[in-house]
Amino acid sequence: MIVTWRIGLRIALALIAAVVLQVSFFSYLTFFGTTPDIVPLVVVTLGLLGGAVLGAVVGFATGLLLDSALLGTLGASSLVLLTAGYLAGRYREGTEISNSLIPPLLIAALTTGVAAGFAALQLMLGIHTPVSLLILREIFVKGLLAFVLAIPLYPLIRRILRPAIVHDVAGAARSPISAASRRSRRARGRRARRLARAG
Amino acid sequence: MYRKQVRRRRAVLVLLIVVALVLLSTRFSESDSGPLHSMQRAVASALGPLEEGASRATKPLVDLKDWIDETFQARGENEDLRAEADQLRAQLAKAQSAEGENEQLRKLVGLDRSGVLAGYTPVTARVIGRSPTVWYSTVTVDKGSSSGVQMNDPVVSGDGLVGRVTDVTHGTAKVSLITDNRSAVSARVLPDGPQGVAEPEVGNPDDLLLDFIDRNQPIDQGALVVTAGWSNGAISSAFPPGLPIGEVSDATVGEQESYQRVHVTPAADIRNLDFVQVATDGPPRPGVPR
Repeated sequence: MIVTWRIGLRIALALIAAVVLQVSFFSYLTFFGTTPDIVPLVVVTLGLLGGAVLGAVVGFATGLLLDSALLGTLGASSLVLLTAGYLAGRYREGTEISNSLIPPLLIAALTTGVAAGFAALQLMLGIHTPVSLLILREIFVKGLLAFVLAIPLYPLIRRILRPAIVHDVAGAARSPISAASRRSRRARGRRARRLARAG
Repeated sequence: MYRKQVRRRRAVLVLLIVVALVLLSTRFSESDSGPLHSMQRAVASALGPLEEGASRATKPLVDLKDWIDETFQARGENEDLRAEADQLRAQLAKAQSAEGENEQLRKLVGLDRSGVLAGYTPVTARVIGRSPTVWYSTVTVDKGSSSGVQMNDPVVSGDGLVGRVTDVTHGTAKVSLITDNRSAVSARVLPDGPQGVAEPEVGNPDDLLLDFIDRNQPIDQGALVVTAGWSNGAISSAFPPGLPIGEVSDATVGEQESYQRVHVTPAADIRNLDFVQVATDGPPRPGVPR
């Protein structure tokens, strides 16, 4: 991904929108006893589109924003999200995404990892009360919900960042649509030259 | 070239992990007025209006989803509700009688109070943000220090105790819920039952555990649990006495244990809080920082 200042601005706006919508909207919706979490989804998507460095930086920044918005433990979300963003980016750098189901599956797996990682971090920071086994169900359901949400959101984010994605720009130059438009441009040029000679 | 890229990638990862760990440890060691807390409050204040706007704009969608859920639930619950209504009618009659007696007793001792939050100034606040984690630990409300909200102010909903304020910015406040893993509320089982400490079972917002109840104390299922509001002069509970916490759902005693495990269903619906009341300007409670 080529990150110009315009693309950087788009990414920043997407992250702010994700955090605001998460704390003000998605956290209010309950499906099968848990709430969907779009923050890891956005971070993993950006990691898949932009690579490991972008994934890690975006994960770190999103975690800071989320912890600040909720006045939570600063650094906890950053640590977990930057790992998810980095892993998504490493996958993208090492493997070709050949199937459209791979991004949602990867997002679901890493969202489950984020929820489990955050739970583990909380346990390490100290829990003085019993922990219900229901937490395992919630972590699993979060992954399932991420899979469902990734189906529309991954293409949407990809579309927003399309001008910066190297693969898409190169692909567009070779696509049948652009080849057809080049052919029609040449045909228009020939017609114009013929008319000029006749006139 | 490739090696350089790999080194750069690893350096960024290590740097970010180190910064995150430093932030974590500093956040724990720093005082509430430290630079990190101040920076965090500034960001929270800046995001507050955005959160409030988003919360208001998306409210119809949340309501629609709730309506669909409730419609499906209502069909199955109809029979249960009929039985519960009969039970509640009987309870209401008892409560009205008790309220009458209570009012007379208050007049007798010369107290000019209208409820358990007497002496406080209730500030109604809208919940504008929720933690997305599975811990059900905090919510953000749209009232802050500009509305008189202070640290450790009790927070209630129409049904009962919700939590207490644990951080305040100019226009918002963070409320740590009774289901937060650091929460512990001194509680009393009504009518004249024993006192214990109500703690959450992390990950299950529909259950609290009432600890330190002697194994020989009889505890009835359905008994109301309220805040004890104790004070020994030097230290005291952050909550006033008599705020409903929930109802006893189950009580079990292990063979080797000297205390009962009393399960309490919270009165407030922690997952679906829209509006809450922050009890501000309360009487000073020794040992509770403001």
